[in-house]
Amino acid sequence: MIKRVNFTGRRRLPRRCVEATVFEGLPRRFSATINLADYNFPSDAEVVLEATSAGSNVVERIPCGAAGSVKQPTNRALTEAEGENIFFTLKVIDRQQTLGRLLGLAEHIRPELAGAPVSGGRRGILPIEPANLKQELWRLEFKDQDVVLKVNKDVPGLKDRARSDPLFYAVVYPEVVRRVLAHCIDSGVEITEDEERWEVLWLRFGRDLHPIKESPPSQADPELDQEEWIEDVVEAFCENHQFKAKFQAHLLGSDEDQR
Amino acid sequence: MIVRQFRESGIAEFRGFLAQCRTNPSTPPPLSLLEDDAHTEVLRPPMVVAPQQFPTKADAASYLAQVLAPLPDHEVALNAGLWTWLSLYYFDEVCRLKQGKRAVTNDYSYVFEPKVSYHYYRHLLFIAWRVLKVAPHHNRLFLGGAVSSLEKFTSEVLKRLYLTRIPCMFEVLDRIYWDEQRGKARAGVVSPETIKPGDLIHRFPIRIRQLERTYDLHSLTADQLIELLGDEFRFEQRRAKSPRKPASGRDTAA
Repeated sequence: MIKRVNFTGRRRLPRRCVEATVFEGLPRRFSATINLADYNFPSDAEVVLEATSAGSNVVERIPCGAAGSVKQPTNRALTEAEGENIFFTLKVIDRQQTLGRLLGLAEHIRPELAGAPVSGGRRGILPIEPANLKQELWRLEFKDQDVVLKVNKDVPGLKDRARSDPLFYAVVYPEVVRRVLAHCIDSGVEITEDEERWEVLWLRFGRDLHPIKESPPSQADPELDQEEWIEDVVEAFCENHQFKAKFQAHLLGSDEDQR
Repeated sequence: MIVRQFRESGIAEFRGFLAQCRTNPSTPPPLSLLEDDAHTEVLRPPMVVAPQQFPTKADAASYLAQVLAPLPDHEVALNAGLWTWLSLYYFDEVCRLKQGKRAVTNDYSYVFEPKVSYHYYRHLLFIAWRVLKVAPHHNRLFLGGAVSSLEKFTSEVLKRLYLTRIPCMFEVLDRIYWDEQRGKARAGVVSPETIKPGDLIHRFPIRIRQLERTYDLHSLTADQLIELLGDEFRFEQRRAKSPRKPASGRDTAA
């Protein structure tokens, strides 16, 4: 695991510093509330939001004034950022130095309306994207900044079903949770409170679901321990959502509809 | 010819041809597909392409940028049917005929897969157009080669979005890695097996990842970023400092 050393005093800001909402349309618009009150940044430090999306080269920079007088972007058009799943980065930059040292940084801020809320999580930690999967129905794609559930674009409505259909949920999501957690443990991230990587969000999600709120094992722990923790989480996930019962009820409902 | 885009069925037909051509390298490209309404549709607004020879990727990039100018870039960048159709139209350029045979490489060199993060930047025509769009200047490292192949240097940079999102990146790369004498990238900077100081594959991405945790790289000039990168990336300076090896390979002190 790569240990990062922070010599510069840069503060990692939690994503809750920014609450952003994206409104679909032409052009796409967004509003954001940036809250830096808890941080003692110099009042003249520059505040910038950057909007981009997975797979895009384009970064749209939105100046938001200074730390002492933040200009909250309200119903602002996103004219450059392209792609479906927009996410933001918040930078607080020291402008007293020529090279623009970062004083604060919050990354991968996912706005409301972009990305699907995963079952049991308040924040959307599993974006869903239609993709060309030939005869495959779904697939997980692990990226630097996200894990994405790809669903076959040729099946009409599958993206919506992936968000709401109890059958899809019951059949697909336990395996999704299992694979994602295994990937997160394998990536070697630590479940520290100030870390905001997607892997950490998932591990916290797992810990909160675990029957005794046990923290996830580390990459160095025996594989059996890792598997046991993951299985405990998946079992709790299924239990919380009563997948079997809902699945049976759904099937029964379908049978009755056909009579 | 009016520019078209393949439907799914057209892409499948084209993939079929690629597979056949691998087995039988003298198989002629199915040019009748290009205007087959069952497998293609005309793009709106109408645009026209003509047969061209592209000595370099730069030639392909500037020609295609001109042809596709009526379409918004973000639509062009996601249009699998268009780029795959263009690959067939310019098949003699992207897969040259040598002694009556073609060496067809992987499908992704010709069939554009914009949503597959490890394939999209390998499409030969798309990547030339894309480089010109994201780097109108300082792009000779990427656009100097033949359109029928993808240089390692290009794929190593273009697959890392966090590099190409930095505005001064292409100027920085040009100033660090362009070798005036060779007329292309410095030797040994894209060797996957060996890690060398200042190389593109191993050292450069790590150094950028370190710097982006400390500085707002988006607001830096090329001079500033090169300064931050450090001595490891100053090849000329390193060459001037390094002592010459004696011809015999032994210490020649008297």
